[in-house]
Amino acid sequence: MTPAWTLISAFAGALLVLLLPARSAGFARVIALVASITGAVAAAAACLAKLQHPDAAAWSFDTAWIPELGIRFHLAANGLSLSLLLLTGIVAVAGVLFSWNVTLRPRAFFAFFMTIIGGVYGVFLSRDAFLLFVFYEIVILPKYMLIAIWGSTNREYGAMKLTLYSIGSSALILIGLVVAYAAAGGTSFDLDYLASVKYAPALQSWAFPILFLGFGVLGGIWPFHTWAPTGHVAAPTAASMLLAGVVMKLGAYGALCVAMPIFPQGFAEWRLVIAGLAVVGIIYGALTALTQKDLKFVIGYSSVSHMGFILLGLATATHWGLSGAVLQMISHGIVAGLLFGIAGRVVYERTHTRDLTALGAFDLWRTLPGAAFAFTLATAASMGLPGFSGFVAEISVGIGVWKSYPWLIVPVAVGIIVTGAFSLRAMHRAFFPVRNAADAAAPMLPPLTWPEISAIALLISVSLAIGVYPMPWVTLIDDGLASPLFHSILSLP
Amino acid sequence: MNYSALFIQLLPEAVLVITALLLLGVAVTIEARTGRPIPVDLTIVISSLGIVGACAALNFCPANPASGTTLLVMDPLARVFKAIVLGLGLLAVLLPPARREIAQPGEFHALLLFALTGLLLTVGTTHLLFLFVALELASLSLYLLAGFSRTAKAAEASLKYFLFGGVSAAFFLFGLSLLYGYCHTLTLPAMAAALEGGHSLPAFAVVGLVMVVVGLGFKLAAAPFHYWAPDVYQGSPATSVALIAAASKAVGAVVLVRLLLMGFGEAAGSAAWGLMQPGWSLWIGVLAAVSMVFGNVLALAQTSVRRLLAYSAVANTGYLLVAISANGAVAAGAALFYVVVYGLATFGALAVTAAVERERGDDSLGSFAGLVHRSPLQAVALLIFLSSLAGIPPLAGFVGKFVMFGAAMSASTTDGIPGLTWLVGLGAVMSAISLYYYLMVLKQAFVREAADATPVALSMSHRLAMLIPALLLVALGLCPAMLLSPVTQALLATLLGR
Repeated sequence: MTPAWTLISAFAGALLVLLLPARSAGFARVIALVASITGAVAAAAACLAKLQHPDAAAWSFDTAWIPELGIRFHLAANGLSLSLLLLTGIVAVAGVLFSWNVTLRPRAFFAFFMTIIGGVYGVFLSRDAFLLFVFYEIVILPKYMLIAIWGSTNREYGAMKLTLYSIGSSALILIGLVVAYAAAGGTSFDLDYLASVKYAPALQSWAFPILFLGFGVLGGIWPFHTWAPTGHVAAPTAASMLLAGVVMKLGAYGALCVAMPIFPQGFAEWRLVIAGLAVVGIIYGALTALTQKDLKFVIGYSSVSHMGFILLGLATATHWGLSGAVLQMISHGIVAGLLFGIAGRVVYERTHTRDLTALGAFDLWRTLPGAAFAFTLATAASMGLPGFSGFVAEISVGIGVWKSYPWLIVPVAVGIIVTGAFSLRAMHRAFFPVRNAADAAAPMLPPLTWPEISAIALLISVSLAIGVYPMPWVTLIDDGLASPLFHSILSLP
Repeated sequence: MNYSALFIQLLPEAVLVITALLLLGVAVTIEARTGRPIPVDLTIVISSLGIVGACAALNFCPANPASGTTLLVMDPLARVFKAIVLGLGLLAVLLPPARREIAQPGEFHALLLFALTGLLLTVGTTHLLFLFVALELASLSLYLLAGFSRTAKAAEASLKYFLFGGVSAAFFLFGLSLLYGYCHTLTLPAMAAALEGGHSLPAFAVVGLVMVVVGLGFKLAAAPFHYWAPDVYQGSPATSVALIAAASKAVGAVVLVRLLLMGFGEAAGSAAWGLMQPGWSLWIGVLAAVSMVFGNVLALAQTSVRRLLAYSAVANTGYLLVAISANGAVAAGAALFYVVVYGLATFGALAVTAAVERERGDDSLGSFAGLVHRSPLQAVALLIFLSSLAGIPPLAGFVGKFVMFGAAMSASTTDGIPGLTWLVGLGAVMSAISLYYYLMVLKQAFVREAADATPVALSMSHRLAMLIPALLLVALGLCPAMLLSPVTQALLATLLGR
């Protein structure tokens, strides 16, 4: 089973769902589940094959597409992209399970959902800058529709804001890519070729920030992160999971695998600025999360903070930093999916509120113990406690920071402490409220359903697995980082 | 002169004119016999058959005609674009005019065929005086088509179009006379030969070239020569607008590319940042920048979808002028690809707007509310058209914009430094802004609920007029080489063969 099945299953799933006759719309979720499981299994199989035979010839698909500009339809996967494919597959399966109860226009919902998944798979698989950009842009419209039609709080505003930020970031990426293409002679959009060209330093110092910022906006770089919390809060649960879990990772992935390798000298010039913005993002996101009243906003701002760790890892330009950043992408993808799933679906479906104070009245740890248990584990993972994926990733990024910018470790430590504070505060307020004996006992809430339990179990077990035994993931990521793309970056410090 | 060879060479145009005359005859006969005007469906069938016949006749036109005239050419560019113009014209015919607007469909469609004839002749000539005559044949028919529905708004639109068009035609002709004064010839290849040697044009020839560009800028609705566009788009019958927006614009782009690249390559100058040289490249670059900013910013404030499409037309002209200003054959080929793709998308959007309008009475944003419940087909088609205009993959509009910007940037690169970054950057940012107003329409269609959800009934040809461009946009987005390669190769062959 080649990695291409991820892509094929997602788009075929979207198409099949659309073609369903109206009276069997209920099958939409089944088709989406089958398609997303197929994708996840294909990704897992490819990862396993890579681990067993690390030196086997890599799979690739390459054919001419737009010969006038030397554009090729070129898909291939190294270990790094395989690990991100697997992340996408897992979040996709969990997303479908958490959307099991969608009854409003289910065919359109799952078609848009699967299109986003397909676009994300495509970005991770593309080896041609144009193709990568195509997949990157495919997700924009479905994102808007998912939020604007199925969303909650302030949905039209959140959807429009998120979409405009996305398309704005795309405009920057377009400019950056076209500049790189033209300056390299205007013959090919192949990423490896573009990365092998030595651009004039003067060009790099203005073209790099354009391209990097384009990807950075989608990666939630401070101060262009404001679309993320409003968009994630407005989105329906599955879309929040996808947006925070994998779509934001596209930005980080593009920064790592497109912007930095193409303009390494520009990166060298600007990386201190990136590190500074990343640290501000970590602390700002955490402090803002500390003051939120809405549970989803807490998670939204925590995403900004966690994405800061990824950008910081990239800015260190060390092997530890880059590998930690990718590991953090995977870890945050799982954990953010889990948190949004519990807050947006499990709890909100039963209580119809996300206000921390109002949730206190439900006494959730007694009335909905399953959710409280899962949220506690998710919070532990989010805080980066040992045994969970976040710990491995943050330690790795921390070592990278120590090697490149030792003094930055202080604000990072502050960020980690504030992360602990807001995570505990939200968990405590929402699930373990202090109640007076005089308060009336809250009525029991309906227990968790099977789709919810399986999605939660899937995500928690993956996070635990990475935390306890990160070796396979690190091996995969190292395989990707060994590519010639990153030579010029890793030799910087 | 060999008249039979001339007739063969003009076979497509002849088929169109004969069909138009036939149509008029049939219309008069039916009206005299029954006292009622000819049914729309019949005129649509007759005109479509005529256009298909003209397309077939195109195959019989020899590449090297023996007629001995220098007025007409059948170079690869002419052949490809005659076929494309006929295709776009066929789509316009398929979009039926509203019954209460057009009382005499026979005359209406006959005029449409005459306009198409003019457009075909315009594409197939390198003789500037003949070009002017052909362009006027097309324009006069289009002025009439714009005002055909006899409403106050259509009259205003038609008059504005006519006055602006008349003035710009005067500019065009005066510019030609100045150019003739300098080159002593009226055919483009001879002009290019006269200009060879690289010495700069004298002032009066420069003025002539500027005037010609202004005249074509009007045809393309480039800002600041676009003032007719919003009123025509809003007031004229949808079918006429469709022809003006798609076929007529494509022809304008072909003429501009032919004129500048084939005739005045020597007078290009440069629009590259830091290396700017006076010449058409710079003028076109400035026109492009003004059009993109004007079109996109004004479109943001529109509440009528037709006016919105008019300003989007101005903005899109800006994008394609970016590629033309780069003065490269591949970039110009990309611009010609884009103008076709743009024409398909705008045509489709107009077809959906016409359907909504006939049902709801107006074309305000609110009329589109809940379209997805009333007619899923129309809503999905609208999604495809507007996404293509906004440049969302995998649709052809995205590929077109990307290829134009990429080719423009690469044509303007010297010593590894791309010179047109300022213009392409502005284009990319403006294109991002445009998503906002397209989304305003899509939001109504997909997100908002309708007051009533009664399904909409549409005629077969109206449905085809939405389905065909939608399918083409998807196909060309996935497989752009189908159109991009023929167009680019035709342009390259034509430029080499001059």
